[in-house]
Amino acid sequence: MKGYQGKILRVDLSNRKITNIETKKYAEYVGGHGIGSAIFWDLCKDKTIDGFDPANVVTIMGSPISGTITPSGSGRCEVTGIGVQSYPIGWYTRSNFGGRFSGMMKYAGWDGIVIEGKADKPVWIDVRNSDVKIRDADGLWGLSTWEAQEEIWEIVNKSVTKDGWKAISSSRDAGFTTQKPAVLAIGQAGENLGRSACLIHDAGNGAGQGGFGGVWGSKNLKAISVIGTGSIETDDPNALIEARIAAKNNYAYNFDDPKVGWNRFSSSPTLGGFYEREEESRPQSCMGCIAGCRARTASGLGSESSCVETIFYADFNRRKFGKQTRDAYVATDLLQKYGINAYEAWRGLEYLEKLYKLGVLGPGKEIDCPLDFEQLGTSEFAEEFLRMTAFREGIGDDFAEGFVRAAERWGRLEEDWKTGILFYPYWGCPDHMYDPRAEIEWGFASIVGDRDMNQHDFNGLYWDPTKDILGGKQPYLSAEEVTKVIAEKLVPFENNPRMLDFSLENAYSEDMAKLVSWTQIYGRFWKNSVLFCDWRWPDLYNPNDPDNSGLTGDEGEPKFLNAIIGGNMTFSEGMEIGRKIWNLDNAIYTLQGRHRDMVKFADYIYDIPYDGGLMGSYYLPAIENGEWKYIDTKGRKLDRDKFEEWKSKYYKLEGWDPETGWPTRSALKTLGLNHVADELEKNSLLGKE
Amino acid sequence: MANEPKKSSRRDFIKISSASVIGLSLGALIPGGKWLENEVYAIPASQGYLLVDTKKCQGCSTCTIVCSLAHEGKQNLSLGRIQVQQNPFKSFPDDIKIDQCRQCAYPACVTACPTKALHADKKTGVRLVSPDKCIGCQRCMEACPYETSNAAWNHEDKNGHKCDLCLNTPFWKEQGGPNGKQACVQVCPVNAIAFTKEIPVQAGDGGYKVNLRDESWKQLGYPIS
Repeated sequence: MKGYQGKILRVDLSNRKITNIETKKYAEYVGGHGIGSAIFWDLCKDKTIDGFDPANVVTIMGSPISGTITPSGSGRCEVTGIGVQSYPIGWYTRSNFGGRFSGMMKYAGWDGIVIEGKADKPVWIDVRNSDVKIRDADGLWGLSTWEAQEEIWEIVNKSVTKDGWKAISSSRDAGFTTQKPAVLAIGQAGENLGRSACLIHDAGNGAGQGGFGGVWGSKNLKAISVIGTGSIETDDPNALIEARIAAKNNYAYNFDDPKVGWNRFSSSPTLGGFYEREEESRPQSCMGCIAGCRARTASGLGSESSCVETIFYADFNRRKFGKQTRDAYVATDLLQKYGINAYEAWRGLEYLEKLYKLGVLGPGKEIDCPLDFEQLGTSEFAEEFLRMTAFREGIGDDFAEGFVRAAERWGRLEEDWKTGILFYPYWGCPDHMYDPRAEIEWGFASIVGDRDMNQHDFNGLYWDPTKDILGGKQPYLSAEEVTKVIAEKLVPFENNPRMLDFSLENAYSEDMAKLVSWTQIYGRFWKNSVLFCDWRWPDLYNPNDPDNSGLTGDEGEPKFLNAIIGGNMTFSEGMEIGRKIWNLDNAIYTLQGRHRDMVKFADYIYDIPYDGGLMGSYYLPAIENGEWKYIDTKGRKLDRDKFEEWKSKYYKLEGWDPETGWPTRSALKTLGLNHVADELEKNSLLGKE
Repeated sequence: MANEPKKSSRRDFIKISSASVIGLSLGALIPGGKWLENEVYAIPASQGYLLVDTKKCQGCSTCTIVCSLAHEGKQNLSLGRIQVQQNPFKSFPDDIKIDQCRQCAYPACVTACPTKALHADKKTGVRLVSPDKCIGCQRCMEACPYETSNAAWNHEDKNGHKCDLCLNTPFWKEQGGPNGKQACVQVCPVNAIAFTKEIPVQAGDGGYKVNLRDESWKQLGYPIS
């Protein structure tokens, strides 16, 4: 089994028992989420338990590409288990983080780590190659995510050094490394069972969604440290090196001749963020990335944060001071140190400000809250807000529950979902900026899934033309051109551009069902199981190619995987494995109590016109009067009845029962999941044919 | 985190001195060497050198991994002959340190090797290891005067190894060495590694830790000075 280490570490914290699972048993799922779901299915006997139950099984999985030169994927890592963030119940869910943890885990000889049970006192897991110890975390509990990592580096790096190289054990045959251990840790938010608590690695890599920080806290697990000196066997080294070089030369950012156009894989190595980057800085990336999306700075502030971590406080900060100040960086760093989900903090803080302005929340108000909103935008305010959340201080106990549960505690949930001041459209998860009323596939895929899906597959169809149009430029590609180029890539539904028609008329169509299905099965396999990075893949269009065609397809994702594991898997075959994983996940949701009647957006999505979001306009490609164009989706809302009809179309497309949304035996059997059908049948939850 | 020489000790002084001027008895052991008139032995210069820009590096470690892949056919940070060390909590530019072999004009590793395993290649002058002659004494690691030794230990094959500028890459078909390509240079996403045939200034770090940031880097908003 080239590309694998052959074993998955299994740690039972209740009994302090350390064993192995043979990776071979689950290799049909290839890695990441697929193997995680299959292991969860086998080991978590009662899938109806709460995420805080000690019987919850959490997997931290790499893949064959982890720790390799595969571009933009080598550093990703997938976490699965029952979450505690979503509402009304914590679905079986997933979160994904970057950095170097998955690679180091592989070098240590492990394809993944499975955590079961609950330790009787705080512990951390120390992995040095095959030597695994459960250690007391007395000196770590109470520390921030950053402090805990530095402490662990000190402990592990005390080992013998030889001429600048650190020994993993007393035997020189165990090898040497120059590297620090890769540590995944919770902060105070996780220790206090925050439902928005994250797992943080290095300065800015976080498994942010699902509340896995709180799940670890409930297991008394502070951190996992991995360091290793082992090798990843590779089927065809030359093919892998040549594929990497070709990807750089033909599809990545060209420093000598930067192409004007819309980029994804071809993006320059610059901060993908929403605050101004310090000029004195470098780009910084996950292991193996073709173009880093974060920075490390001369001030040391804001290092490794990107995307939502940077937006969380930047706007409040600019409003307070009329320009961005260092407070925005300080706030972002505090978020990483306490280990709090940036989306919850951002949308939650917006919600609190709205309640404050309504006169409902504040010192001595109906919702008694000591925060001084006149100071919103300062680092002092951010510190108080985040500290209250992390430590559950006072009303921070409500914040730590996530703001949907907080609203419920305050008796405001129904009303605030109606008016839309609580910007949480699906499953109690915060809005991502990509509203279901505008970017249909994002919202629909999230609501038929388990969380805010956070897959940017088609999200460039908003950002790229909207920026061009609002900037007074002709879009780089017309709606007709870009949808044609992308449609060629959408195997197994290829060459159907209508899947990318974002008009409201097409929102409830089978075409949109296919687009949602594509994004789910691509995500479940290539992105979350093989672990290609969401920010660089899929490469659907690329200005370096004369036809603007990206790297995704048989010459893209599978080429790297095949060079490592051997064989000739096609892109399409990978998608079929993705379908299998997606079916398995839905069987788990079904056992947890999912029924189509629950699959509904918050009321405001149906009742309040969309305001156009961050840029005030949200352009997407659509067919209007028989012609492709970019339309502004601002002002739209969804129709309840039509959305219900769409769900039926979607379930039928997946081969599931449209009355319940439950997977059917025939669908499961086709995918080799008969045992899953048996379990559903035993629980009277098998969909009707 | 500049790659500074280790703190001087009497032992180091001896190492560096012996690397600079090699006496008659030692010199006779070195292949490819020349006798000079004053009977001081000199090792031919390498025909190529790797240069790195530590302020440009994005820390992806692809250079390290591809090095092990091209040479060993496996992917392993510990077997990479160019090493990138990071501390995410340190400030730029001290957050990243790159250690690449300098192909020293006066190679202490060559001098220290008791079996001629570590030698200068006759054709190219590249300092490299003949694994079949290596007895695993690790004196090359001890001899390398830099904080992180650029001669390293291959714990899987049980021999020392070091950067050979891809002169011998059994798992990468491209021609390497000073007259070919180097895998790390080829894969670096930000072009933070360069190859030169010009011998860099030997004193200090400046000859090897260089500025590869040009106008294209400035266009991205990063410092170039």
